[in-house]
Amino acid sequence: MLRTQEYFLNFGPQHPSTHGVFQIILTLDGERIVKAEPVCGYLHRGIEKLAESRTYTQVIPYTDRMDYLAAMLQNLGYVQAVEKLMGIEVPERAEYLRIISGELSRLASHLLATGVYALDIGGFTGFLLCFRERERVMDLLEELTGSRMTLSYARIGGVADDAPEGWLDKVKKLMDDMPGYIDEYNGLITGNEIFQARTKFVGQLTPETAINYSLSGPVLRASGVNYDLRKVRPYGIYDRFDFEVPLGENGDCFDRFYCRVREMQQSVRIIQQAIEQIKEVDGPVIAKVPKVLKPPKSDVYHEIESAKGIIGYYVVSDGSNKPYRVHVRRPSFINLGYLDEMLRGYLIADVVAILGSIDIVLGEVDC
Amino acid sequence: MFGQGLIKGLQITWKEFWAKKFTVQYPEEQHPVPERFHGKFVLDVDKCIACGLCANACPNKVITIEKQKVGKKQYMTGYIMNIQYCLFCGLCVESCNKDALHYSKDFNMNQYFYRDIPLVLVKREAPAEPEEEEQPAAKAEARPKAKPQAKAEKPAEPAANSEVAAGKVPGKEGE
Repeated sequence: MLRTQEYFLNFGPQHPSTHGVFQIILTLDGERIVKAEPVCGYLHRGIEKLAESRTYTQVIPYTDRMDYLAAMLQNLGYVQAVEKLMGIEVPERAEYLRIISGELSRLASHLLATGVYALDIGGFTGFLLCFRERERVMDLLEELTGSRMTLSYARIGGVADDAPEGWLDKVKKLMDDMPGYIDEYNGLITGNEIFQARTKFVGQLTPETAINYSLSGPVLRASGVNYDLRKVRPYGIYDRFDFEVPLGENGDCFDRFYCRVREMQQSVRIIQQAIEQIKEVDGPVIAKVPKVLKPPKSDVYHEIESAKGIIGYYVVSDGSNKPYRVHVRRPSFINLGYLDEMLRGYLIADVVAILGSIDIVLGEVDC
Repeated sequence: MFGQGLIKGLQITWKEFWAKKFTVQYPEEQHPVPERFHGKFVLDVDKCIACGLCANACPNKVITIEKQKVGKKQYMTGYIMNIQYCLFCGLCVESCNKDALHYSKDFNMNQYFYRDIPLVLVKREAPAEPEEEEQPAAKAEARPKAKPQAKAEKPAEPAANSEVAAGKVPGKEGE
C-alpha cells in the first residue's frame, strides 16, 4: 500500500532568515509542516545571572544587549522599574528625551523589521530603502548617545546627557521626511501583489489564542486586540501625546507587517509632539540620586511597550547595592511560543514568512 | 487590476535610481564622527589621581589600575583597559570626578594579535623618591625598613610588571 513518510528538516541555526542563531526542527510530510520544534539558546549569555553581581547602574548596559535593535526601550524598562522601586522622580526634560530616543529606537526596530521582512519574501529593494532611513535614525541616536545600537542612554533618575545643540532640529527634519518614506514602503512593499499573495491569510492567529498565549506587541494587535501599554497603562509621560493604536483584522502575516508600518507613522506623530513640547521644558536631565543606590528590601514588576511587545522587568532588592534578581519578560521569546501551531499545515516556503512576521530578535529570545 | 502594485513599485525604484546616493565608499570616504562618539579611550594623565572610581564603575572589570607608593603619594604606574571586554557604555567616563578619562573619535582598535588588544593608556615607572619626603617618613619606625625594600624592588618591579603584562602588552609603549 502506498503511504507517505515524514521526515525532518533543520531550519537554522545558520540560516539568514532566522534573523540570528535560531533553529527550528521541522517535521515534514512532503512540503507540508506537521510539527515545528523551535530550539533556542544559541545566543544565551546569562544576562539575568550577570545582573546579580552588578550594581543597579551597571545592569543598564546589559539590558541593551537583549533587544539590540531597540536598545533605548530596554534601558527604559529597567530604569523605570528601579525608579519605581526607589520612588525616584524623573525631571521633565529627561522624560521627554526618553520618549524621543525611545520612539526613535522603536522606529529603527520597525524599519528593520519592515525591510528585512521584504527581504525574507524576496524583495531586495524594499530592504535597502528601509535601511537607508534606519541609518539616518541611528546617526541621530549616535549623535545623542555616542553609540549606534547599544545606547546605554537611560540612567536611573534620568538620562545620561542632554541633547546636543541642533539635534532636535535634525530629528524634526527626519520626522518631516518620514511620512514620505513610509508612503514609499507602502508603494514598494505593501502594495506589491506578489508580497500580498505570499503573506495574506498565512499564519492566521485568532484574538483568543493570541491572548491565551500571552502574545503582545504588533503580533497581538494585528489580530485585532486593542492592547497597547502606552494607551492602556501610560507609563512615563505617554498620556500627554495624541496617537492611535493601529489594529489588524485577519491576524495574518500581512496584518502583522502592516501594523508595524502604521505604528511607525504613530511613532513619528509622538516624536513630533514631543519635540514641540520639549522646547518649553528646561532644567536638569537627571534627578539627584545617590552614587551608591541601595533600594529598600522589596520587589517590583514594571512593564513597558517595547518594539516587539511588552517587556517586563521584575527586580528584587535585598537591601544591598546589587539586585538580588532581575528577571526579564522578553516579548520575542513569549511571541515565539505559538510558532509551532502557527506553522502547522503550511508549506516550507511559508516558514520564513511566518517567522519573519513575528519579528524576533535572538538577543532577546535567548537573553 | 492585478499588477498595478508592481508597476507602482517599479516607478518608485526608477525614481530612487536617480536620487542622491546615500552610500559612502568607506576606506576612501568616511562619515563624520559625532562629538559624543564612544571610541578609543584617552586618559589625561596629569588630571588622573588614580582613585579607581572608573575601575569600580565598570560593569565588566575592564580597567586595571596599577599604582605604587612614592613618598606619601600614590603614583600611577599603569592604566590598562582590557578593551576586548569593554561594553562602551560610558559609565567609567561619567564616573570620573577629575574629568580625566575621555572618549576619542578613533574607532579603529583592531589588532592582529590577541596580546596587542589591551589598551595601555599609562605604562611607566615610578620616579625615584623625592629627598625631602624621606625625612618625615623616617620619623616613623616601620617606615625606614620598608623604604630600602621599596627601593630595592624598584629595579625589579618594572621587570615584574612587564612579566605580568607580558601576556597583554609587550611593545605597546612604543605606540
